[in-house]
Amino acid sequence: MYDMLTALINGALGWGWPEWALNLLSYILIVTIVLVVAPLQMLFFTYYERRVIARMQDRVGPNRVGPEGIWQPIADGVKMFTKEDIVPQAADRIVHFLAPCVVVAPTVLMFAVVPWGPGMVPVDLPTGLLFFFAISSISAVGLMMAGWASNNKFSLLGAMRAVAQMVSYEIPAVLSLIAIVIIVGSLSINEIIAYQAGLIISNRDLPGVPDLGLGWFVFTPVGFVAFVAFFIAALAEGERTPFDIPEADSEIVAGYMTEYSGMKFGLFYLAQYVLNFLLCAITAIIFFGGWQGPGVGWLYAQGITPANPNGNGLFNVLAGILGVFYFLLKTYIFFFVMVWLRGAFPRLRIDQLMDFGWKFLIPWTLANLFSAALWVAFTRWGPAEGMLITVGWSPVLRWLAAFVVTLAINLGVYLWLTRVYAASQAERRRAELEELSAAA
Amino acid sequence: MTASPFEIEIPRGRVIEVQRDDTRVRWGGGLLRGMAVVWKHWKESFKLNRSYSQIHGTFTIEYPEEQPRIPEAYRNMPILLYDDETGHELCTSCFQCERICPPQVIHMTQAKDPATGKPVPAVAEFIIEYDACMSCGFCAEVCPFDAIKMDHEFELSTDDHTRLTVHKEQLLRPISYYAKIAPTMWAEVRESALKKLQGNVRRRPDVIGLAPQLTEKIAARRAELAAQAVQAAQAAAAAPAAPAAAPAEGRKLTPEEKAAKLAAIRAAKTAQAGESATPAEAAPAPPSPAPAGEAAPSADKAAKLAAIRAANAAKKAAAGEAPATLPVAPADGMAGDTPADAPPAAPPADKAARLAAIRAANAAKKQQSGDGS
Repeated sequence: MYDMLTALINGALGWGWPEWALNLLSYILIVTIVLVVAPLQMLFFTYYERRVIARMQDRVGPNRVGPEGIWQPIADGVKMFTKEDIVPQAADRIVHFLAPCVVVAPTVLMFAVVPWGPGMVPVDLPTGLLFFFAISSISAVGLMMAGWASNNKFSLLGAMRAVAQMVSYEIPAVLSLIAIVIIVGSLSINEIIAYQAGLIISNRDLPGVPDLGLGWFVFTPVGFVAFVAFFIAALAEGERTPFDIPEADSEIVAGYMTEYSGMKFGLFYLAQYVLNFLLCAITAIIFFGGWQGPGVGWLYAQGITPANPNGNGLFNVLAGILGVFYFLLKTYIFFFVMVWLRGAFPRLRIDQLMDFGWKFLIPWTLANLFSAALWVAFTRWGPAEGMLITVGWSPVLRWLAAFVVTLAINLGVYLWLTRVYAASQAERRRAELEELSAAA
Repeated sequence: MTASPFEIEIPRGRVIEVQRDDTRVRWGGGLLRGMAVVWKHWKESFKLNRSYSQIHGTFTIEYPEEQPRIPEAYRNMPILLYDDETGHELCTSCFQCERICPPQVIHMTQAKDPATGKPVPAVAEFIIEYDACMSCGFCAEVCPFDAIKMDHEFELSTDDHTRLTVHKEQLLRPISYYAKIAPTMWAEVRESALKKLQGNVRRRPDVIGLAPQLTEKIAARRAELAAQAVQAAQAAAAAPAAPAAAPAEGRKLTPEEKAAKLAAIRAAKTAQAGESATPAEAAPAPPSPAPAGEAAPSADKAAKLAAIRAANAAKKAAAGEAPATLPVAPADGMAGDTPADAPPAAPPADKAARLAAIRAANAAKKQQSGDGS
């Protein structure tokens, strides 16, 4: 944004604005765009989810408000705004009021590091990924506040579950991301996206590969395992249906949202959908190349970039449009998968959730971490790092060796873990029955 | 761990273990299979499904735009039927539906003949409280005349509560309407229903039993009746001895006739009863213009009374009909008419009255002769 504004105001228009004014203007514009886009995404996602889940259940879904019901979220929003705001008498009023804010704020902050297209990142933090996940954990505090302040047993139970679930599933999520960070060697989200240029294979590993923007991590064994583990963890983090234990409406009414009404409830709702959007987006960014796709890299190379200040601004716009298109397409596909999972699977029990997180996902992602290390060793290390086997191998051979070895490890670990996990679950069921028999 | 039990009794109740194949590991294939099922539903849901035998496809009927296909036996609210051609209601006010109605929302009054005050097989007012009706369909089931049927109309919502107390005029539908919404169900009962209706129509005087909203049908019926009256009057005028025929209808059995007959029967009965009575009990009768012509004991008197009554009935019938029909009807002339000297060409009402008188006289005579012997 700053580059584009500089080129436009000081270059094309020749007004000669000072640097601070340009910076200020660009950030105001960015913040405005983010604050407009975040709720719009949420509105679209509610409509999108309802239509998709309806189709999966052989229904039609909302199709009355506007063409094909596209204004349904607006109607819902109006409804939310006009509802009475009820605070329970026994509630801690201040905390009850603050909780929705504490839940919403981090989700909007997370937008700061999400790149929408080439050169379209609000803030290119060198530790963007860390920032993203550190901030996302803050909403757990807000959930706990909501549950505690409501002074309601369902709320508190929901909050407890939410916090337990978030804390448990952050570990596999972060472990699977670390595998990618090891390969890329950077926490910058832009770096991670830039690494996924190429064709099936990243052209950082394999120079000379044509850049079609398809060098996505999901095509490597390490990336695939990390993707599956991360997506499952993201479902738990975003409280999507197989893991929507914190707001299990058939058990604990609505969890921590029980005592909220009107727009406060609406804020929780907003936070949840914005978080889902961001989790889908970060999945798309880290494992599916974000805005990378055929044509974007080439278009962007013609535009105005720090490396190429004399480019054509039109190509920036074109690259931006195409990049945003790819990025949103991937994001929406992941949200579709989330809805699909919601349509397919029933809710887990809390013990099943914990078992799955701690006994399956964490060992699996830890093994994947080892694979990632091997991947780096095979593709990049030389005699200087003590990697003597690959001396003299061509890059393709190195890459192939890394692929085969990591594939073998990940597959072996998966097969072994599922066996162990199934056996442990069966054993647990037997133990429970035995206990029941003993009691009888 | 060997075979686990299927059932365990615990203090809180019984636990039944569902035996799952725990030893088989599907490596996530079970999850994918479940997702495949949902995918197929999603993919197929873009097609419409109207056969209801398929599990895929969208079943939804977009209601206000599309109307649901309602099965014939669907029942919502009861309606009354009337005949398309004559406009006669099928209902005879037999009160069966009112009796069986579980929430007791059916109310009716039977039509009465204005001339005689006798009930007629037709309904004067019929009310169903739709707001409390539970659509059980008992009324339609029990109706012996197939007059009350269950409608398919279900868009009944209103902001006016009183409109849910539905009166006869709003309840009435032509038979053709019911035959359209439930063709096979109507075909089953059509013949018997129409036959019963014909039988009932014969017993309905004037315009009683005609659907009240069919004003032109009622007017036509009135005109028909008037024309008949004129005809009858002309016929009466043509007959030499007839002072004035009652503007009797072409129908076989009018209430007047019926009354006359009844009187005759009653007279005969009284006469029979008089047979057992002793002459001492008999009071002297005043001279009368009865055909018996003599001072008669009680039996005689009864017979005479019957004759007078019959004559009165005939008179009344004539008087009652006259203002209702045409002014040209010379109904007033027959007031002094006695049954005895009635001409042979008299119209049916007169004839019946005369018949009653003769019968009464005969009975009296018989009684006398019986006494004398």
